[in-house]
Amino acid sequence: MAEPKLRVLMVSDFFFPNFGGVENHIYYLSQCLLNLGHKVVVMTHAYGNRTGVRYMTGGLKVYYVPWRPFAMQNTFPTVYGTLPIVRTILKRERITVVHGHQAFSTLCHEALMHARTMGYRVVFTDHSLYGFADVGSIHMNKVLQFTLADIDQAICVSHTSKENTVLRSGLSPGKVFMIPNAVDTAMFKPADVRPSSDDVITIVVISRLVYRKGADLLVEVIPEVCRLYPNVRFVVGGDGPKHVRLEEMREKHSLQDRVEMLGAVPHSRVRSVLVTGHIFLNSSLTEAFCIAILEAASCGLLTVSTRVGGVPEACTLFSIHTFLLWYYRMTWLCLLSQIRMTWYEQSKRRYQYFQVLTRRRCTIE
Amino acid sequence: MDKNLAGDSTPRPKWRKVAYGGMQIGYNDNYTDETFLGEMVMNANVVRRDLLKVMKDSVSISQYLCIVALVVLVWVHTLESSLDENSLLLLDLSLLALGFLVLLLTEEKMLLLRYIANVSFFTTGLYVLAPVYQTLTRSISSDSIWAVTVSLLLLHLFLHDYSGSTIRAPGALKSPSLTSCISVNASVVASVFVASRLPSRRHVFAVMLFSLQVFLFAPPVTYCIKKFSFGLHLLFSFGLIGLTLYSVYALHILFFVLFLVIVVVVNVVCPYWLIRMQEYKFEISGPWDEAKLCFDITD
Repeated sequence: MAEPKLRVLMVSDFFFPNFGGVENHIYYLSQCLLNLGHKVVVMTHAYGNRTGVRYMTGGLKVYYVPWRPFAMQNTFPTVYGTLPIVRTILKRERITVVHGHQAFSTLCHEALMHARTMGYRVVFTDHSLYGFADVGSIHMNKVLQFTLADIDQAICVSHTSKENTVLRSGLSPGKVFMIPNAVDTAMFKPADVRPSSDDVITIVVISRLVYRKGADLLVEVIPEVCRLYPNVRFVVGGDGPKHVRLEEMREKHSLQDRVEMLGAVPHSRVRSVLVTGHIFLNSSLTEAFCIAILEAASCGLLTVSTRVGGVPEACTLFSIHTFLLWYYRMTWLCLLSQIRMTWYEQSKRRYQYFQVLTRRRCTIE
Repeated sequence: MDKNLAGDSTPRPKWRKVAYGGMQIGYNDNYTDETFLGEMVMNANVVRRDLLKVMKDSVSISQYLCIVALVVLVWVHTLESSLDENSLLLLDLSLLALGFLVLLLTEEKMLLLRYIANVSFFTTGLYVLAPVYQTLTRSISSDSIWAVTVSLLLLHLFLHDYSGSTIRAPGALKSPSLTSCISVNASVVASVFVASRLPSRRHVFAVMLFSLQVFLFAPPVTYCIKKFSFGLHLLFSFGLIGLTLYSVYALHILFFVLFLVIVVVVNVVCPYWLIRMQEYKFEISGPWDEAKLCFDITD
């Protein structure tokens, strides 16, 4: 018997043309749902001149509602201002399930609230970890308690994230499903010819250069490692406020030939940067579920990461190779012989998108 | 949704806290293990406070309140002309000498030098500028002056740095924060406004000298006393509170009652309230917390 087809509305402030974890997640999930025969519509705010209705690959309809973002990519929170447009979209597209993403998105909270008022099924996915102590977090958690008070299911991307969400929102743990993120292994394939590791070992870092992603740790670690191991070079991709500190570090220790700064790397070029390296370094101070590690492992790199948040759960059994980067001293292990295809196959098996979204569909039903 | 087959004899494998490997057989996605929230730590960094210690610490707050109350009393008496300029000048000199003595006895060389330098500097300045202050607010009505003075004093009390002195010796731990600078400025402006209502230049000079002396030097001097000996600090504070209460009583009974209530609230009610609220403290930490860097970021 054919299963009833769902008509899903994905709501978030974060979508294409922005690139990031949440945006890619929404996009890939929508594509997989479309492949399974369901209908997906995405609602987000306008990006510059990009307003109105656009169609993306596979017939994905995106509503770029004509509001400007006012702070940190979020629309201005007018509680009842979004009701007309949300109702119009819900009725016109004959939506059955509303799926909100990211606790930090005001549009998501408002849409979920209006959908629930009108009696629709509502699912919420949280992608980040938040604290409890500072003013911003306290406010966010309070808003989250309101939104999640009357929700059907919530999805978290790791067990640590589930604990964090349950504590923040006061939901019963039985309502929170743990479904990890997935990586597109068709895009993140290892290189056909592996870079030789005889003379130079390349360490790749691709992240936003902000405090939260551990850019200050990089500033301390890179000179130490370069000093201890003369055959190592670094490739740093990404941009941000801490770019200046990294440049200063390069100047101070004269590492211009050993540390290459690529600047912002477009998402399409990330794989080509990753396959030039042997090791991937992730120094973030907090991660709900680090997709960057998976992308790197899928490309055949060895991953070294800080043991924070959901990272210990996401690492595979080969975790003897996943070091603990405590302080700025790193224990270095020999790493030369690595069967990279094993990494690729492991990732492929473990994180197939189809598998992931089947679980998602089950929660919705 | 449950995939357990009827008559399945093999027990399901142990649940693991991992994100890879797909759905764990025999467990739903919303399965909550006994280890859920097992790594949460509550109230790890909370300071447990003792009632007596908090009450002793709150004495420095009421001491400063008394100092400000005494300044206001002197202003009131000067404005009513019950205190003439000669006795005021005498008061100034004796206070200066007292401060000097305290700093000498507690052996604060740095503060002493800065004290002498500052005092000589602004005494000269004040004497020269006294005519300016006298005619400064001639066109403003008295009501506005009293209203502004009271609000500035309240602002000063609200933003004052009660934990340390605003004038610190160089090389001290904490530099003055923005709020303490604002509070000092507020008190100085309040004294200027009050001084501008006085009849003669000598009055203006005496009152300005008195106010500035107290507002600028009372914090470091009391800090020195506290550092030197806590018992002496307590004795000094209680003496000051007694003196203030007596003077306010002599002024008006209503203000006396008000001041007494404030002192009791600051010294007794607030510490007790703080200790009572401690039991509601709920600080959560766990594996989801952001990692703290163990080194300082030096730019």
